[in-house]
Amino acid sequence: MIYELTEKDMERLLQKIGEEYDVFGSKEELGEVVFSKISSFSEVSEKKSSYSPKDFLIKRSENILEIPRVEKKAVFGVKSCDLRGFYLMDLQILNKDPFYTVRRQNTLFINFVCTEKCPGGFCTSFGGPVLDDYDIQVLHIGQSYFVEADPRYEGYLAGFRPALDQDVFVKHSEEFNRKYGKIELNGIEKRMKWSSKLWTEFANYCISCGACNYSCPTCYCIDVYDDETGRKKEWDSCILEGFTRTAAGNVRPDLSDRLRQRFYHKFKYYKLSKGEYLCTGCNRCVDDCPVDIDIKEVITHDYDKE
Amino acid sequence: MITIKNEYLPEKMKPIRFRMETDDTYTIVFSKRTMSHAGQFYMLSVDGVGESPISVASGFGNPLTFSIKAVGSVTKYIMDHRDSAIGLRGPYGNAWPWKGADHIVAIAGGIGIPPIKALIEDMESEGNLGDLTVLYGARSPKDIVYKNEIEAWKKELDFRITVDNGDPSWKGNVGVVTTLIPGVERYKNGSAFVIGPPIMMKFSVQELIKHGFSPENIYLSLERRMECGIGVCGHCNIGQWYVCESGPIFRYSDVMNEPEVFL
Repeated sequence: MIYELTEKDMERLLQKIGEEYDVFGSKEELGEVVFSKISSFSEVSEKKSSYSPKDFLIKRSENILEIPRVEKKAVFGVKSCDLRGFYLMDLQILNKDPFYTVRRQNTLFINFVCTEKCPGGFCTSFGGPVLDDYDIQVLHIGQSYFVEADPRYEGYLAGFRPALDQDVFVKHSEEFNRKYGKIELNGIEKRMKWSSKLWTEFANYCISCGACNYSCPTCYCIDVYDDETGRKKEWDSCILEGFTRTAAGNVRPDLSDRLRQRFYHKFKYYKLSKGEYLCTGCNRCVDDCPVDIDIKEVITHDYDKE
Repeated sequence: MITIKNEYLPEKMKPIRFRMETDDTYTIVFSKRTMSHAGQFYMLSVDGVGESPISVASGFGNPLTFSIKAVGSVTKYIMDHRDSAIGLRGPYGNAWPWKGADHIVAIAGGIGIPPIKALIEDMESEGNLGDLTVLYGARSPKDIVYKNEIEAWKKELDFRITVDNGDPSWKGNVGVVTTLIPGVERYKNGSAFVIGPPIMMKFSVQELIKHGFSPENIYLSLERRMECGIGVCGHCNIGQWYVCESGPIFRYSDVMNEPEVFL
C-alpha cells in the first residue's frame, strides 16, 4: 500500500518512529550534507549527502573483540543508490560479520527517491532510483510525499491517507528511466579483458589514495589489525599495495593489477558469485577521485577493439 | 535486544607442548582436541600483535596441533614467547577430499607439510594409509620438519622425500619435489593434493599433467592474505571465490583459468 502524506504527516511519521528509534537525517551543516541526529522532519535535506551512509553499518574503525550495545537508529533522507549498496553488501557479509549484522538489524532506513538525476550519476544502469527492496521509501512530488513500507514497517503508516494512485512509484520509475536513459552494461562481466590497456592507463594517473573505496556504498573490505588499544577492523582499500601482500609474495604488485581487481570485483566476480553487480551508479567514486578516473569508462570501453 | 555471537572473539589458551622442528619452524600442541578435518585452518592470534591463518597439523579428534614457520610478526612472537596465551578461532575452510578417492598422491613443499600430516592422521584413523603416497620436498636436510614422524611414516605408507640441496650426511634424493613425480605415474588415475609455495605448486601441476593426471583430480591448497577467515574482509579472493570460504582447497580445473591462481 502506498500512502500520500503531507509535510506535516511526515513530521508525525518521524515523531512516531522517534518513539522507538534514535532519529538521524541528512542535514546541511556548514555547506556539507551530513548525517546527524535530528528532531524534526524540517531539518532533513533532500540533497545527496556528501558521504554515503556506510558508516552507520561499518564503522571506519572499531574494536572487534567486543560487540558494543547497538541502539536502534532510523535514518531519514538516505538516497536510493546508497541504500541499494547495503542490499548488495548483505549478499556477502550479512550474518557473517556480527558487527554489520547487528547494526543492519537495528537500523531503519528511510530512503528518498530522486526526482532528478544527479550530475554524473548512472543509477538507471542498475534499475534507477525506485527500489524493490527498502524499509520505508519516500517519493516527494510537489506538496505530496508518497510513502511505501516493507511489511515489517507498514505499521508506522497506519492512519495516514492511502494514495489514490497506487502506481505512482512504478510510473515515476518508468518516467525517470526513460527521461535519462542509461549506459548499457551489455554483459560487462563477459566483455572486460584482463589484458586491457585501460588498467595501465588508469594506473598512469591513479595516486593510490583509496578515496574510491572509502566513498563507495558497496565497498565492504576491511583491514584487521592489532595495536596497543586492541584488535581493530578498519575500512580498507584494494587499491593500496599492502592489500594482498603475504610472506609468499604479492599477487597484485602493480597498481594496474589492483585497479583491475577493483573493477573485476564490481562488474565480474560479484556478478558470478552473487548474481549482482557491486555498483549502484551513485558516481561517488568519480566525484571523490582526485585524478578523475571514471568507472563509467570501464563500462563504455570497447574491449573488442583491443 | 538481539544477542549475536562475536565470531572474531578467539578462545585463549596456552600450548601444552612446544617443539622446535628446524631453526625457524616449531610445533605447538594444545590440550583441546581438534574438531577440524585435514586441510582446514584456524586463525591464531596474540593480543597487540595480530592474527594469522594457520593450517591444522593434527587429525580429527587428536590434540589440536600447528606447525608454524616464523616469518611474520605473529608467528615470530609465538616462537619467542613460548608461555604466552594464544587466541584460537576456527576451524575454517574446506578439507582434503580424500574419502572415496582412488590412490592419493600428496605433494608438499616446505612448510606445506603440516596439512599433509593431518591428512595422514585422518586417513590412518580409518585404515586408509595404503591408498596414500606422500612426496615431500624440503630446501635442505636441516629444513626437514617432522624428522621423527617421517621415520614412522616410512614404515606405514609410501613416503618419499627429497631436498633441493643436500649435505655430506644426506643419503637420499636431491632435487626439487617435482623430480619425484615421474615415479608416481602409475597413480595417474588417482587424485593429487598439492600444497606449498606458489612456484612449487605451479610446476607440480605442470608435471602431474605431463604424467597423465587429470586437472579434475588435482587439488591445490591455495594461500592468500586472510584477515578474517569468514568471508568478510575481502582480501583473499581468487577470481570470484574467497579462499577462506570456498577454499583453501580448490579443484585445479575450477581455477585453472584464473590468472592469479599461482601469484
